[in-house]
Amino acid sequence: MLHASKKSLLEYLATRTIMYFATIFSGITLTYLLVKAMPVDAVENIIFGLTQTVAGVYDPQSINKLREDLYEIFGLTGKSPLEDYLIFIRRVFTFNFGPSFISFPTPAFELVLRRLPWTIGLLSVSTAITWITGNLLGTIAGYFRTRKFTKVLESIAISLYPVPYYIMALILMLLFAFLIPIFPLGGGISVIPESLNLELILNIIWHSLLPALSLILPGALGWSFLSSRTLTLEVLSEDYTRYAEFRGLPGKHVLRRYVLRNILVPQVTVLALSLGGIFSGALLTEVIFAYPGVGSLAYRAAFAGDINTLMAVLILSMVAVSTAIYLLDLLYPLVDPRIRYR
Amino acid sequence: MEPVLKAVNLKGGYLLGSLYASASQQGSYVDAVSDVSLELFRNEIFGIAGESGCGKSTLIKMLYGYLEPPLVLKDGLVYLYTKEGKEISITSLSKERLKREVFWRHISYIPQSSMNVLNPTMRVRDHFAEMLKLHANMSKEEAYKEAGKYVEYMGLPIDVLAAFPHQLSGGMRQRVVISLALLMRPDLILADEPTSALDVINQQAVLTMLRDSQESFKNTIVIVSHDMGVHGVITRRVAIMYAGRIVEIGKTEEIFEDPLHPYTQALIKALPRLGDKAQRKGLSGHPPDLKNPPLGCRFRPRCPSYGPQCREETPTLIEVKPGRYVECWLYST
Amino acid sequence: MPSLSFLKSIGKNFIFLYKSNFKFRLGFTLILILFILGFTVSPFSPTSTRTWYAVPRDRPPSPEYLLGTSSMGRDVFWELCASIGKSLTIALITAMIASHIGLFIGLISGIRGGLLDRFLMFVSDTFIIVPGFLLLIVVISIIKSWITIPLLGAIISIVSWPWPARQVRSMVLSLRERTFVYTAKLSGMRTSKVLLFEIMPYVLGWHLVNFTNTILFSIGTESGLAIFGLSILGDNTLGVMLYWALNYYALFRGIWWWITAPIVTLVLIFISFYLISIGLSEHLHRIIG
Repeated sequence: MLHASKKSLLEYLATRTIMYFATIFSGITLTYLLVKAMPVDAVENIIFGLTQTVAGVYDPQSINKLREDLYEIFGLTGKSPLEDYLIFIRRVFTFNFGPSFISFPTPAFELVLRRLPWTIGLLSVSTAITWITGNLLGTIAGYFRTRKFTKVLESIAISLYPVPYYIMALILMLLFAFLIPIFPLGGGISVIPESLNLELILNIIWHSLLPALSLILPGALGWSFLSSRTLTLEVLSEDYTRYAEFRGLPGKHVLRRYVLRNILVPQVTVLALSLGGIFSGALLTEVIFAYPGVGSLAYRAAFAGDINTLMAVLILSMVAVSTAIYLLDLLYPLVDPRIRYR
Repeated sequence: MEPVLKAVNLKGGYLLGSLYASASQQGSYVDAVSDVSLELFRNEIFGIAGESGCGKSTLIKMLYGYLEPPLVLKDGLVYLYTKEGKEISITSLSKERLKREVFWRHISYIPQSSMNVLNPTMRVRDHFAEMLKLHANMSKEEAYKEAGKYVEYMGLPIDVLAAFPHQLSGGMRQRVVISLALLMRPDLILADEPTSALDVINQQAVLTMLRDSQESFKNTIVIVSHDMGVHGVITRRVAIMYAGRIVEIGKTEEIFEDPLHPYTQALIKALPRLGDKAQRKGLSGHPPDLKNPPLGCRFRPRCPSYGPQCREETPTLIEVKPGRYVECWLYST
Repeated sequence: MPSLSFLKSIGKNFIFLYKSNFKFRLGFTLILILFILGFTVSPFSPTSTRTWYAVPRDRPPSPEYLLGTSSMGRDVFWELCASIGKSLTIALITAMIASHIGLFIGLISGIRGGLLDRFLMFVSDTFIIVPGFLLLIVVISIIKSWITIPLLGAIISIVSWPWPARQVRSMVLSLRERTFVYTAKLSGMRTSKVLLFEIMPYVLGWHLVNFTNTILFSIGTESGLAIFGLSILGDNTLGVMLYWALNYYALFRGIWWWITAPIVTLVLIFISFYLISIGLSEHLHRIIG
């Protein structure tokens, strides 16, 4: 009658781990194929652009070294396609993306690594806030679906949901730059970091408030709110929720143990599927607020045609997003007993 | 005999408003329960029989008192008499008060399909514990301990408590739901088709469980089923419903042996019997559209023996002999 | 004439939708106005919207310059009209390409199932997981100097097809479970015919929703790329307008009309396409269930 076994949990974890690596691998392959499919002589084009913009910075020798690097990255060494691909893969897995152009000769990888904590910090905190408040609001709105405040929240959500993060950032900037000038409008920090103390942390938080807000508003009142509201309406029509009401359980209890608990499972999936989009959106928000994360780095790199740095940003972001989704997958058995005990 | 529930002239049905109906049905009303009176006694198993759509599930929802739109109660009263000697008027209490004071303590409900009525993210023991915490003010530990003792008493394997609903078979889930309904020792349990989703073996197990528990708790169980076989096996008395009205009430054996109402007669005649090889004859025609019920007797269009009176006047339920009621002009002159 | 009856049914559905659904009506009206501004009005521009210093610089809105002028010496109103047209063109190209690729892959995946389905869904999941915007940044950085409007629309399609593909596939999977498809199969129809006659009419409705959503996505992506300087900076698109306004610090120099114009227009475009999209899906939910 009971088939509680730990095997299925292990099986689940093993599949997810394989999928995790497979996704990263296929993402990298995808990048390789796309770049290789570019119909132009990319390398000479880049080198030409480089010598035009920042000529004189580079001596001919390093330019030649760079040219070799680029030929390898773009899979244009003239060897067999398989060899080209393997060289590319080896470079990626040794994190060797060549030197950056924007701060030559610092390796591109190091440049990205320095910026990554800023982006991950901003993103993880604001995504967590978004997801939690969005779920709570959505569940409450679904439960009290005929109330007036629900209609108001729904109209707000419908107008916020389709607005991209960076437009939200620009709107917030318009608002806070001129109407209520209380927040700093750019940068990540405005004190000299001597040691890690409270003042420094508060300063960092203070600077990340507006970027965070422009990520949270369209999320918590947009996608997270709308999807949890829809799911709540579904769960409310399920037999188990209706039977809970029939048994005389108080509304608060039903809301918490029956509704909220049962929308968690699909909402984790919604979050996992949204992460890539959130990450992309956050890059633009960073640019607008000059927040010192990966986005601003990519901006400078794109401006200077620094393909090495852009490549490093892309690959590392892929790894970061896949890892975040993998961690969410590991959370899944905690919220869905059907995976834990099959 | 001590009454446990009295229903007087219950009228109600489904109001098809803008939210649930297409334009052509706008504002129409399905007369699902029409003028039903009923008395249930302590310590009995009572059956409600009838084909699907006859209003039997609607009737017990009204007895339970939990009406969700589009179901509305138009008229009538329901009284519940508790073992402490209290009289509770179910029809006049608010939903909130019913939830707080009546449901599960005095009256409980076993829903039509038990497949999805347990929370998939909660262990079985927490389903018991939340009821015990709510109605008996137990702490979590006490509730778990009590649930363990109780589940053993009900004859369920003790390891169901630690399981999640999806790990249980359909029959086991149904038995868990029944145990849950009996948990607070209510005076009355309303079971809506408790066996219809189960295979024959599990049907037998569930019916046995209901009968055994009734014998030990001395409560009242109402079983709604379209299956006359179920009523033959377990109920002491049975009511036959047709098109929203109770047409006959009596002891189960008497109804089976000597059906009085033409509809009941047709129903019993259609039952297969051991050794009888004659072809079973069903009733011709369909039950009436309850949005637009016929005048007079509702069974008249299908009745083999109707008279002129049946067309104009609705018959009433009359007692033809002690404990035997029938609603038909053939028996009232 | 099956195509004529098909067109008739589209017309009937549209009129019904327009009359019965407020969200659709509002969204459609707004979009119609934007289309008129972008394609019918913009050719009448008295000054060039692509040359520098065609009009005096930094003038606030006035009867002469409806929405003022920019620091680059362009009339903001006429530049806005031209930009709406170009941005919509890019978006329509993306939607034409990506939503049809999505439709095709979703149909194949949903109908064929098996290994092919797994492979296609793995590829599209990769696209969903990978920050697609960064992929576009890398690609466009390489071919920056060759970029044209049709090319930009096509490149954005690279990352836009997976969502429609998933949507169509799940639609096909749920339709496959419905009785009428079983009945058709049991009555001896070939799988390809079942697909064409039984499933397609339902999928096409959702295809329209996907088309609308892809337009939305493409406009958003183009403006995002432009902020990175990776759009056609010499031409007029809404993103390019934003790029120059940000680059000239319009906000800090108090030339608010320059930056507010594209922002407000973008928000209007997003909301109205979204309204159309939810109006359509509400209608589809009602007629298909």
